[in-house]
Amino acid sequence: MKEKVLIVPCSGIGKSLGSVAREGAYIVTEELCPERTQLMPLALLVLGDKEPQTELSSAGAIAIDGCVRACAAKVVEGAGGTVAHGLQVLDVCRRHPDLKPSGISELDESGHKLAHALAEEVKELVDNMRGEVTHA
Amino acid sequence: MPELPKKKVGLIACSGEEIPEGTITRLAVRQVLESLRPQQTVTICLPLFLAGGEGDRAFARFHPTITVDGCEKRCAARGTEMYSDKPAVSIVVSDSACPNSAALGSARRLSGAGMQAVSDVADQIARHVDHLLDLKWDRRSGGPVDGSTPQEESKPRQAACSCGSGIPSQVLRVAGREVTLIALPLIFAQFREAGKLPSDSTKGQLIEAVRIYNLIPDEEESAYARAVTEEYAAFCRGGN
Repeated sequence: MKEKVLIVPCSGIGKSLGSVAREGAYIVTEELCPERTQLMPLALLVLGDKEPQTELSSAGAIAIDGCVRACAAKVVEGAGGTVAHGLQVLDVCRRHPDLKPSGISELDESGHKLAHALAEEVKELVDNMRGEVTHA
Repeated sequence: MPELPKKKVGLIACSGEEIPEGTITRLAVRQVLESLRPQQTVTICLPLFLAGGEGDRAFARFHPTITVDGCEKRCAARGTEMYSDKPAVSIVVSDSACPNSAALGSARRLSGAGMQAVSDVADQIARHVDHLLDLKWDRRSGGPVDGSTPQEESKPRQAACSCGSGIPSQVLRVAGREVTLIALPLIFAQFREAGKLPSDSTKGQLIEAVRIYNLIPDEEESAYARAVTEEYAAFCRGGN
């Protein structure tokens, strides 16, 4: 793989699931796969500036969205990037029906657990992405 | 300008996830939405200007908007102006609240100084909200001084984002093509509530109200007026 995998979380500030997306992205990029991933703030892609677009064009991206409007995935594609994988936090929620996150500025315990579950799923995708390239 | 039902100040945080100043924008905006001015403010996610529809992009045309950016790139301010409208106020955290970025903690975990910066920026936003709404705040009661409260919805609301709704819009057929008109359902509702029946005199008022939120080419004004008036008549007949 030429570059680190870009992790692009939803930048939502109105719902708990947006906060879960962001926290999950931090866990991946800071704890689980810091050497293989890089956080890409969505706001940087909104303006159409060249620098982040160049980064996108040379790396695979995993978009993590907090709601069905899927801003992260849409904006990555709109900026010329390729969404290798698009995750919806709501889908992760469905796989963990015992976790009911709440809180936005500060996630509750359930929210943190969900973020960890999300991060584990993203890590697996990162592992597979790198494997695909290595064996290509 | 018609007094449409929601007179609130829009807040847009850059939310930049890679620097502590971005986290400060997000938490400060939340503090204003949740605690300082919950009845007077609303927010929308910046990326929705790209990923959303016309209703989302009308946000800053509909609400006087304060953008809060973490750094000099000013993604929120520039993005808002590019896709929606010029913000009424633009705050940059790195310019004002925190001269020493290293003391703020990390983007994921702010330090005590970082949390203090959140409070400072939130206070700054609240002051701008009051100014934009011409709101006088009674510090002792913790509420607005009588007579300065802006027009509000009667039911209590939660501090939440606008991304589930956007600004209501409606598609009309004008001069043989479909056009999306921002705020049209609200304008119709307001006119009907004011007892303004569909008529030639209402037509002029309607088109002036529609023009505030939408670009109407001069050469097509009569076609727009005709389509809007017909739709308003249908709206009144239907009792929407």
